[in-house]
Amino acid sequence: MKPDSTWRAFITPFVLLTGPGTIFISITLLLPLLTIVMFSFWRTESYELYADWNLDNYRVLFGEAAYRTFLIRSVVSAALTSLICLVLAWPVAYYIARHGGRYRLLLVLLLAAPFFTGVILRIAALQGILGPGGLINMTLGLAGFAPIKLLMYTQFAATIGHIYLYIPFMVTAIYLSLVNFDFALLDTAKINGAGPFRAFAEVTWPLNWIGTSIGTVLVFIPCLASTITPRFLGGPNATSFGMSLSQQFGETGTWALGSAMSVVMFIFSFLVIAIMSLTIDLRRSGFTGVGK
Amino acid sequence: MSTHDDTVSLSLQDICKQFGPVKAVDGVNLDIRQDEFFALLGPSGSGKTTLLRIIAGLEHPTSGRVMVGGQDVTYMPPYHRRIGMVFQNFLLFPHKTVAENIVFPLRMQNIAKAQRGERLSWAIHLLRLEGLEARYPHELSGGQQQRVSLARGLISRPALLLLDEPLANLDRELRAEMEIEIRRYQKELKIPFIYVTHNQEEALTMSDRIAVMRNGVFEQVGHRTEVYQKPATAFVAGFVGQSNQMEGKADTVNGSLLAFTWKGTKLVVPHAGDVKAGDPLRFMIKHEDVQVEVASKKSAIPASHNHLPGKLRDIIFKGQTVNYLIDLEGGMEIVASGSPRDMKLSVGDLVFAFWPQEAGASFRL
Amino acid sequence: MAGLLNLLYIFLYAPIFYVIYASFSQDIVWPFPPAFTMQAYVDLAGNSLYSDALINSLIIGLGSGIISTAIATAGVIGILRYPSKRRTLIIVIFLSPLFVAELLIGISSLAFNARILGLPGNIFSAIAANAVEGVAFSFLIILSQLVRYDWQMDEAAMVFGARPVRCFWEITLPTIWPSLLGAFLISFILAFNNLEISFYNLGAIPTLPSVAWGSLRFGLGPELFALAALTNGFVFLIFAVMYVLMRTGLVKFGYRGK
Repeated sequence: MKPDSTWRAFITPFVLLTGPGTIFISITLLLPLLTIVMFSFWRTESYELYADWNLDNYRVLFGEAAYRTFLIRSVVSAALTSLICLVLAWPVAYYIARHGGRYRLLLVLLLAAPFFTGVILRIAALQGILGPGGLINMTLGLAGFAPIKLLMYTQFAATIGHIYLYIPFMVTAIYLSLVNFDFALLDTAKINGAGPFRAFAEVTWPLNWIGTSIGTVLVFIPCLASTITPRFLGGPNATSFGMSLSQQFGETGTWALGSAMSVVMFIFSFLVIAIMSLTIDLRRSGFTGVGK
Repeated sequence: MSTHDDTVSLSLQDICKQFGPVKAVDGVNLDIRQDEFFALLGPSGSGKTTLLRIIAGLEHPTSGRVMVGGQDVTYMPPYHRRIGMVFQNFLLFPHKTVAENIVFPLRMQNIAKAQRGERLSWAIHLLRLEGLEARYPHELSGGQQQRVSLARGLISRPALLLLDEPLANLDRELRAEMEIEIRRYQKELKIPFIYVTHNQEEALTMSDRIAVMRNGVFEQVGHRTEVYQKPATAFVAGFVGQSNQMEGKADTVNGSLLAFTWKGTKLVVPHAGDVKAGDPLRFMIKHEDVQVEVASKKSAIPASHNHLPGKLRDIIFKGQTVNYLIDLEGGMEIVASGSPRDMKLSVGDLVFAFWPQEAGASFRL
Repeated sequence: MAGLLNLLYIFLYAPIFYVIYASFSQDIVWPFPPAFTMQAYVDLAGNSLYSDALINSLIIGLGSGIISTAIATAGVIGILRYPSKRRTLIIVIFLSPLFVAELLIGISSLAFNARILGLPGNIFSAIAANAVEGVAFSFLIILSQLVRYDWQMDEAAMVFGARPVRCFWEITLPTIWPSLLGAFLISFILAFNNLEISFYNLGAIPTLPSVAWGSLRFGLGPELFALAALTNGFVFLIFAVMYVLMRTGLVKFGYRGK
């Protein structure tokens, strides 16, 4: 018989198939995030959380110089890392997409694979090269040179670490966009008088903006939240926002403050996403073949 | 509850299907009998495939009922209806062998293994697929794939078989062969076939009855010769067969005939029910109904026939037929079609195009 | 540009190769001239903390992989087979975890589990939290492959009597399984090697990454190198499998019956 009651009409195959995922993500992602928002307005005392609703945590965050420093340091570092990754990744992705031929998949997989070994082991490996006992400095030492201060326990080293960790994301995102880009458009531009730089700026870049912005977001967000890299590669002056945040949930037990920090970090991430998606709406572009 | 006529296999009652603002099917009624080969003919976008999918159960109509064997199956899911289907893209399962593909419907109906083997042999023999049982679809030619598809559709002896433009992807020779074969299967097995196509030649060759469909409605339903010779609307006249057309205003109506003036010449043509004196009309006549005679032999033309003078501009030889392209003095081109055996004319001859008064059909514009 | 590509490869892989090389050396700080030993691996295998951690990581990886793949597959089939106006919304929901930092996922799960649900650190919440990230990755992988599948095949099967579940089992799954396997492998690796998400959810339960983290705090040790070498080898093995799958699997994909 015809399913005419609204309840039965609601349970379509679409709902049955996408429902579990939606519910799962809501429960495991959304609810916990909301919990954190809630806690950010509470108070911790002696390792216990109390539900007195207040704004103290935020006052502390923005009031005390230390936290402000951490935040600014992390935001700047993330922005810088994103920029450098962008500059480095574009030529690489372009080369693979345009000239990779049969080996395109292989080349991209080779770039993506290191990411999956996990952040700790990758940083450990980097330390093996960069650190005071690492390859570079030991070699220099044996050859009679002083170790490069810059490479040990500095913000510089941490940034190198961030690039090392997240550049595969940027390359993959741009590559996926370029794979659906019609390179013949460049020929058209050149025939119409555009030099290579002009062609890039007017044709390639705008049409692949979605890939660029997704890559930027995928690099910026983990960078902002990073804890391991600054801890092991950065020095005492490189405490990041993420490190401080995790301390609140670890050593100091001040969950309320930590929650406030999480909220602030999430807002920053969200801002970046919002800015990027706004710019996407304003331009026509094709990503994975779906034009606007 | 209306009484069910046992000879009616499929009954469509007031079927409507709406996709948003678009009416794909708009009020279709149809009864199909057990022994019929029925063609659904129409241009793309006419709604014929939608209608077929509604019969198969892949879509639900917005309103109306579908009855198979007297049972209301309108909302029954496709896997419960005992219907077979043959698709334009064959849609054979690529990871299964020919035998596994054919036997699939029987497995889904949980038919016992022994019986399955029997039926499989029957289907393979019927479609002449011996020796191909272990092959995979991508190893077969287009024609072989289509036969496997047919075997799969027929093996469960369904209540009816739906065919969705099955020959569209085959080359012309194969198509001609398959047209005759498919009709033979239908007659042998006595299962009603519903055949969707945009190719009127296929429809005419294979079917008993044809429904011509446009914009979601049936313009005409009838026996194939009737649809061909007595088109009910201008669209049907133009879509089925090849026609010439002339437009003018009706002068007088005289029973089953009416007179109208076309560029100064008076023509007498069959009268369609709703044309009155003074109405604008379109007259359509099939190419093969128009005959040609050399101007000097005008006396050979019966006086009561319509005749128009003109010059033979070109002769197109099509193998089985010859088309004469005539530039009429009235300023239009008319095509007359004939057999190659009577080819006596030359390009440039002054000729008359003529036809009897009962030939062709007129329609109100 | 080719030069830059090569530089990037060197940049990414030099540390890895060095670590692998050093893990076999007698002196890991200055492994020259080359002198090889398996001592680091022997120590690693004998260390019970590592073997406990390995088992936990495996469990988390498997659990997360299975859940992610199942949920993502259902989601992809839902939006591709049954087009709906809500399609974009569902895609956004399924991909949202990609845009939340792992640290946040870990911490928020911890907060939620500890305070709201009242659960202590346990392996199930770690699996669930990892699965969230896994669902997003799996969704992306399966979606990119499944857009080429011809759903009319399923319709044909339905007409011939296959109910939806049977149709999936007989027709859809045999064709799409390589992409499901690929998604599973990726989710597995991510969860297996994950630190930030699992750490906060587990309390004292060790995983390979968290043990590695603990070890790193005391400086680089030979066991760490050995672990890194093994993990890299493992990841690359899986990627090799996936590459082969994608190369051959692609041939069978979106097979449009021609």
